Amino acid sequence: MTAHPLAGDTQTIRARRTGSAESRLLPLALLLPGIAVLLAVIGFPMLYSLYLSFTNYTLTTARSFHFVGLNNYITLLKDPIFWQAFGRTVLFMTLAVNLEFLIGLGIAQLMAKAIRGRGALRTIIMMPMMFAPILVGFMFKWAFNDQVGLVNNILFSLTGRAHIIPWLVDVPLGFIALLVAEIWMSTPFMVIILEAGILSLPVEPFEAAEVDGASGWQKFRMLTLPMVMPFVYTAMAIRSLDLARVYDVVRIMTDGGPGNRTELIWTYVYRLSFSGHNFALGSAMSYVTVIISFLFTWYLFRNVLKSRWEGRQ
Amino acid sequence: MTKISRRSFLKFAGLAAGGAALASCAPPPAAPAAPAEKPAESAPAAAPAAEGGFAGVTVKMHAISGGNYEQLYTTIPAWEAANGAKVEIVFKGNGFETDKRLVQDFAAGTVDYDVCWDHTSFFSQYVKAGGLEPLEGYFTDAELADFIPRLLNAGRRDGSLWLIPRHYDISLMQFRSDLEGLTAPETWDEFKETAIKFTDPAKGLYGTQFAGKEEALTGRFYEVFTAEGGSLFDDKWEPIFNSAAGVKAATMFADLYKAKAMPPGMTNFVWDDVAKNFANGTIALYTEWPGWYGYFQDPSSSQVAGKFDYARQPKGDGNIHGGWAGAHGFSVTKASQHKDAAVSLIKHLTSPESLTIESETGLLVARQSVFDAVIEKAAGSGVPLDKKRLDLVLLAAQEDLKTPPLIAEWLPMSNIFYPIMQKIILGDVEPKAGLDDAVVQVRKLMDDAGYY
Repeated sequence: MTAHPLAGDTQTIRARRTGSAESRLLPLALLLPGIAVLLAVIGFPMLYSLYLSFTNYTLTTARSFHFVGLNNYITLLKDPIFWQAFGRTVLFMTLAVNLEFLIGLGIAQLMAKAIRGRGALRTIIMMPMMFAPILVGFMFKWAFNDQVGLVNNILFSLTGRAHIIPWLVDVPLGFIALLVAEIWMSTPFMVIILEAGILSLPVEPFEAAEVDGASGWQKFRMLTLPMVMPFVYTAMAIRSLDLARVYDVVRIMTDGGPGNRTELIWTYVYRLSFSGHNFALGSAMSYVTVIISFLFTWYLFRNVLKSRWEGRQ
Repeated sequence: MTKISRRSFLKFAGLAAGGAALASCAPPPAAPAAPAEKPAESAPAAAPAAEGGFAGVTVKMHAISGGNYEQLYTTIPAWEAANGAKVEIVFKGNGFETDKRLVQDFAAGTVDYDVCWDHTSFFSQYVKAGGLEPLEGYFTDAELADFIPRLLNAGRRDGSLWLIPRHYDISLMQFRSDLEGLTAPETWDEFKETAIKFTDPAKGLYGTQFAGKEEALTGRFYEVFTAEGGSLFDDKWEPIFNSAAGVKAATMFADLYKAKAMPPGMTNFVWDDVAKNFANGTIALYTEWPGWYGYFQDPSSSQVAGKFDYARQPKGDGNIHGGWAGAHGFSVTKASQHKDAAVSLIKHLTSPESLTIESETGLLVARQSVFDAVIEKAAGSGVPLDKKRLDLVLLAAQEDLKTPPLIAEWLPMSNIFYPIMQKIILGDVEPKAGLDDAVVQVRKLMDDAGYY
């Protein structure tokens, strides 16, 4: 009699369920080193920074800090710059994700239609992703420079008049300049994911729609878009997480200024924690932000799962 | 092969994991003890190291990099050869990067170097964190006598000497000498009038400019404000810069921006930007540390070569010349295991011979004797401005030099202040309201820091 190929496994599982405490502890023991490393590099720093957020720890008083309860959180909740930075971050995230989605979907749709040169096209589209965000920041800082920047020079060439527009200073130009830089840098990611989604769609529904005489727009609205939604939610979820912690480009281009005009959450955290030495307040702000980001991510992923489930119906 | 029983394996795995977890949770090494108010009695008497006196010792150094700063390090091999020791530069970065690293290292107690770059605007933080060794016990009065007194004193606090200066920066008024009718302003009121008067958009000429962010902006406000007779704090450390002098100084910045006498992007300018603008010939006059002299006088990089002049900083209502200054120097860390060797290295790096090499890069060195020799050499250059610049910076160092308050809270205070000052300049808030807001926030900072 030949034993069932999975019989051994079943026996092992049964043995684990019914076996001695040692058998049950073995997997845990094997995982312990990994768990210990994770606790050391993630768990402990997080718990320690949570603890710091309830103290008056600063970098110059690291030896004499004490517990101050919820003081930092109260200070934070009363801080108008924090709430402005928070609101601006949400707005930045919303605009960037949606614009990247719209532009990315358009480009992905065009690329999916390309018969020849798709590989080369994809390489070119991906180029912005190959630059470090800091370099992108420097590049756009120069492009939007009011004295010698590319944008003002283009305006001069087009109109014949000198335009000294302080792109990185005026409201809302500074915010728009940051948005342009971020969208330029990250839209390729959206394109890659959405193009993969579009190319993976089954052809039969489209052929049927063709036979029924559906227009291109109808096919896109009634077939492509609903079927590609799981990809859209995945790409948007990843980009939202990225954007919730946007820092590099902003730090280089405006550093949240001038006068907090383009302050986002993480430039403010940096200003408090490192420039201001106030690690305790910076930690409190990080925790508030992380909790809100967590809720946002949970909402997005819930929708991802929902859209996937609906896609199977 | 010896078999390990499952029980033994579990024991070892549990112990190893537990040990790793415990090790990760262990507190960082104890931070160095607080610096003594007075030099330790056991501190060695100052004496130059004998040849080969530190054989086998490796002195680790946390250094500033970039610009002309590294020329001085070419003298290190001579010290190594004379002492049989090694110098290992464990970190190099610009001033602000270096400062951030030092603050974090002192806070975390992870200092493993002996000598660190230091600055008069920053060292109070390191002293408060207990990171520096007081130096007065290591130097005789004779060894310190040659340093420009105000510079040396800028490195003292709490009765101790914490840094030995190598070179310094101090503000001078720089103005175009080729613009008809443009003369150096005597007061900050005249400065404002002149800047507005010489602004000419048709020629692409702005009256003036400032570095418009971070400590560069806070320090410039501080300079004008103190010249106007203001004081940042009263004798109980209550912030009082929302006084009439503060409002007048802040209003000057706002008025210049409102009159379009400054480039619209000035609130994003740092030191490099303002220097480039002046070199491009788009600025009539501005106040700046004169370290860019060589760059401005080079016709291949500057439109204003031979077309500009220097003057002492204007006075304010307080009848005080501006003179915001800072000195770069070296300190010994409290955690150093080789303090004598570290001090010896600092003596070498700040010796007349080494600072002569430093002076050849154009930096303004901290020793009077070397400075005198540099002036004498400049007098024979055939360019009168070479000597005039040096005469002025020496005069300013001797009479006008003002560092920011020597407190650890200077940079955090600046961090609160400069965004508000930017708002004042851009017209987002009135000067008085902005300064009132800044005073409230700075008071909280000082309160949290235990000043009241």
